Amino acid sequence: MTPQGSRFGPWIGGLLLLAGWELADRLLSDAFVLAGPVAVARFLMDEGALMGRALAVTLGNAAVGFVIGNLAALALAGVAVVWPRSERVVTGLALLVFCLPLVATGPILRVLFGPGPGPQITLAALAVYYTTLIPLLVGLRAVPDTWVELVRSTGRGRLAVLVHVRAMAALPALCAGLQIAAPAAFLGAMVGEFTGAERGMGVLTIRAMRALDVPMTWSLATVATAVAVLAYLALGALARRVLRAPPPVILAAPSVRSKQGAAWRDVALVAALALGGWAAVIGLGGLNPFFAKGPGDVVTALVFAPDAPETRATLGAALAETAVFLLPGYAAGLAAGAGLAVLLVLLPGVAGTVLPLAIALRSVPIVTTAPLVVLLLGRGALGTIVLVAVMVFFPTLVACLHGLRQTPGQVLDVFDSFAAGPVTRLIRLRIPAMWPAFFAAARMAVPASVLAVTVVEWLATGSGMGRLMALSASLSDYDMLWSCVVVVSVLAALGYALVGAVERRVLAVYAPEQQT
Amino acid sequence: MPGPLTRRTLLGTGAAAVGATALGLPPRPAQAQTPVGLQLSWLHSAQFAGSYIALDRGWWAARGLDVSLLPGGPNAPVEPPVVSGTALVGVSAADYTAAAVEQGAPFKILGVAMQKNPFVVASLPGTPVHEPADLVGKRIGMALANTPVLQALCQLNGVDIDRITMVPTQYSAQPLLAGEVDCLLCWETDLPVAMERQGIESLTMLMADHGYVLQSQTYIATEDSLANRRADLVALLAGEVRGWEAYHADPEAAADLTVRMYPDAGLDPETQRLQAARQVPLMFSDLTDAHGFGWWTDDAVAANIETLALLGRTVSPDLWDRSILEEVHGT
Repeated sequence: MTPQGSRFGPWIGGLLLLAGWELADRLLSDAFVLAGPVAVARFLMDEGALMGRALAVTLGNAAVGFVIGNLAALALAGVAVVWPRSERVVTGLALLVFCLPLVATGPILRVLFGPGPGPQITLAALAVYYTTLIPLLVGLRAVPDTWVELVRSTGRGRLAVLVHVRAMAALPALCAGLQIAAPAAFLGAMVGEFTGAERGMGVLTIRAMRALDVPMTWSLATVATAVAVLAYLALGALARRVLRAPPPVILAAPSVRSKQGAAWRDVALVAALALGGWAAVIGLGGLNPFFAKGPGDVVTALVFAPDAPETRATLGAALAETAVFLLPGYAAGLAAGAGLAVLLVLLPGVAGTVLPLAIALRSVPIVTTAPLVVLLLGRGALGTIVLVAVMVFFPTLVACLHGLRQTPGQVLDVFDSFAAGPVTRLIRLRIPAMWPAFFAAARMAVPASVLAVTVVEWLATGSGMGRLMALSASLSDYDMLWSCVVVVSVLAALGYALVGAVERRVLAVYAPEQQT
Repeated sequence: MPGPLTRRTLLGTGAAAVGATALGLPPRPAQAQTPVGLQLSWLHSAQFAGSYIALDRGWWAARGLDVSLLPGGPNAPVEPPVVSGTALVGVSAADYTAAAVEQGAPFKILGVAMQKNPFVVASLPGTPVHEPADLVGKRIGMALANTPVLQALCQLNGVDIDRITMVPTQYSAQPLLAGEVDCLLCWETDLPVAMERQGIESLTMLMADHGYVLQSQTYIATEDSLANRRADLVALLAGEVRGWEAYHADPEAAADLTVRMYPDAGLDPETQRLQAARQVPLMFSDLTDAHGFGWWTDDAVAANIETLALLGRTVSPDLWDRSILEEVHGT
């Protein structure tokens, strides 16, 4: 997955990063927002033992969550492919769960698990399973019909196709998914510590930021970034060892459009399963009705209660505030991710320099960067928009790079024989090959951007849905909190469906094998 | 929570057993210990040092309790674990408790650790805020969630809140030092200490000195626990009272104990000492000297109810239940 840039590319990128970072530190020395590499190195030398213990705890939780989340993704993808009719229901439910805002789920997980690492591991797993599931499903379908028919002709069924053809074909997508998942798992484990933990990097981050301990804050960010970058590179190296075969030519006939009726039935099924599951968790979990609200409670709070109009007005105002940040940030992140991926393919020499910078940018915990971005860009919309864009940008970049590389070698050879230039190849060949991965990223980015915007609102700007959820939790207004969860999840799912509708139109032309 | 705490509890049990034997009492077998959770309202720090003393010296173990001190955090409300029984007692605050009761939680306030509310307006000497009137024309950095707090202060002191600019900020002194705001709404014991540790002089206006009467760090339990687990509640609060009185005698030692007990919390010893010293006047007064730690008067309840009304909360005096504390103090 690492670009084929010059051997010195990463070093140049790294040095540029260090120099710019130190310079920024010197320029902002009075603002208490940034500590440069020198200060960070000094802190790590003095407090290495403390940092090591915290890292061990958080990394351990993140790793367990990473494994659990990805295994869940594998299992769900397997179900969806062996039993294609279930796919929309599986992904729909998976999406709803992924959209649950962690500001609200954190305290509930803490009550469910009691003291210990339960919430940290769960939030890490929840942060990764979806970003693995979606590319995996794309990969599992990226199979030439002829291969499937070959297996079928031997009299074997869907399971054999899954094991012998689809699983192999899905490996590149799986690797890309795992690479995106690594920093997300770490962030999930850190935020999980906000629900009440005794030790770990998240605990230290809160401590350091309150204490104005800027060297400690940035040392934590540096260590978290280094871990995420190393995980990314290690998974990339693993992928290169595993993936030796060039991507195949996929010739698929345009599929017959699925009936609208079936789609609505699936939506209804997802809604029914989600509501049933929700009610069951509340009922069977023995959760106290003071904070565990069921579907009926939310409907009452939003529709029938005497203060329902006020509740709806509060929710609506917060949603509007959030949408102002969310939509531009989402669009900017997508454009930047896809644009940079295209640029890197055109100028492969730059990739080695730019990619480490991009990974580092994405991996710096949002908790740490938020105050810096807010200082630089102000407390208005721009700061939040940029932070959302950063969260969206990186998964899109990775997915698009992966997509651009999925250009079949044979077709490239044809273009070569006609002496087509790099731009022609890009427009006629690579970008069309990129669409499935791009749209998968665009869909995944919907919940990711919701997550980003609510976290930023909660921790930095104190506005919108993030503020409303944090406030509702602290004032025990659990009717409002659960209403927020429902509204956020449903809107995220709708956004996702909207992207999916656009995707179907585009892919019907460029990648009919992805149609289900 | 296991690991060191269990070991420490065990050691405490041993020490208590030795002490008990010396008094001619039969030692309590270790397995008779009742596991009990105390939900703290924030991460481990000197804010809860009295509890650490009680744990460290085995004062709970001696009374048959195996107490787990459950840390809080920015995403860890206190009330759900208490309602669900994960914790027998929680460290809340009068306003949060009132809000939870309004939502149907069956809580009672059993004791009051912070007699004076710790909220301050912190400012720099260049643009000082000595009294509420100084807020006019200033930009105050705060969580928007605390708007009712500022409203109440303004109403109590006849200040026009519309002439104050509220800037939503993260909970950090950084926006003040970067000049984004002129003052901060924060606690007496955290952000001002952080600035002092960075060598920055700041001044604080304690809101409690300007009519904002609201108890903080209140001990809450459910009515069910009050009815059915009185002995455990008495034992738990007795340990708290004893621990905090030891804290009062030597806050510095309490701060040092905090750093020793939680080596992974990243605590700065000097910060903990400063914090420990600053919270003494909030927690101890002539009243507690006379009646013991955690005590409150009916006048205090009336004043709290008035402030809560300004915050939009209607509560009645029976939110407070002094019976456990009376048993602890033997009155």
